[in-house]
Amino acid sequence: MADVPQNAGYMVAAYIVTAVILLGYAVSLGRRSRNL
Amino acid sequence: MSLVRRGRWITLVALVLLAGVYVRALAFTPIERLQGPAQKIFYLHVPAAIWTEAAMILVGLAGIFFLFLGDPRLDRFAEASAEVGTVFATIVLTTGPIWGKPIWGTWWTWDARLTSTLFLFFLYLGYLLVRGAVRDPGLRARYAAVLGICGMCLVPFIHLSVYLFRTLHPQPIILKPSGPSLPDSMLVTWLFSLLAFTLLYVGFVTQRYAVSLARDARETAAAEHG
Repeated sequence: MADVPQNAGYMVAAYIVTAVILLGYAVSLGRRSRNL
Repeated sequence: MSLVRRGRWITLVALVLLAGVYVRALAFTPIERLQGPAQKIFYLHVPAAIWTEAAMILVGLAGIFFLFLGDPRLDRFAEASAEVGTVFATIVLTTGPIWGKPIWGTWWTWDARLTSTLFLFFLYLGYLLVRGAVRDPGLRARYAAVLGICGMCLVPFIHLSVYLFRTLHPQPIILKPSGPSLPDSMLVTWLFSLLAFTLLYVGFVTQRYAVSLARDARETAAAEHG
């Protein structure tokens, strides 16, 4: 395991960015559809 | 159950599934030895990329059928699919560079796969801008249909670009003629994620379709009274 690159920060960043984009859009859709 | 409520429920189930994907991918899926933890971006990047391309194919197909049949439901579906495709394309274009930096040593390179995917994103934006700029519903639907068909034609090129050109982006390891070349534990996580993204697409499109349906009803009522 000593040879495995230590780049977990990038992984965490990508998972956070994805969650923010998806949750942001879900909230946006929820607000728009609530005003129907 | 109304269309909006159905869409919300599907989205909620998809988000819970995606939370399960996060747990499985981060805690219960082995770390790839050569790339390290950054390889786990694969479980989000690739399903998002598949639905970015599939959404545009569906926009194009809906556009073709709309031009023949003139059914407004097809136009509404295309609009919804394009908006959701734009969201997934944003995920692809943000997670890709975050994955590329530790593996390739650069955030971005102008190779065929990355450039054509960026072009697809701009096509999505152009599609949504055209829809926002044209006020006449009939013209708006026809212009959008033509743009959607153009976008659909780009998708096969994006998928094949890694075979046609020398690119930094790797060739597919799942969607290829010889079948997936991935250990079972990683493949199961990836399939789980693909299911979550598929449900997200369905849930988002259902809700977005309901928004368009309500807007069209308002426009029709305004035209009748004004």
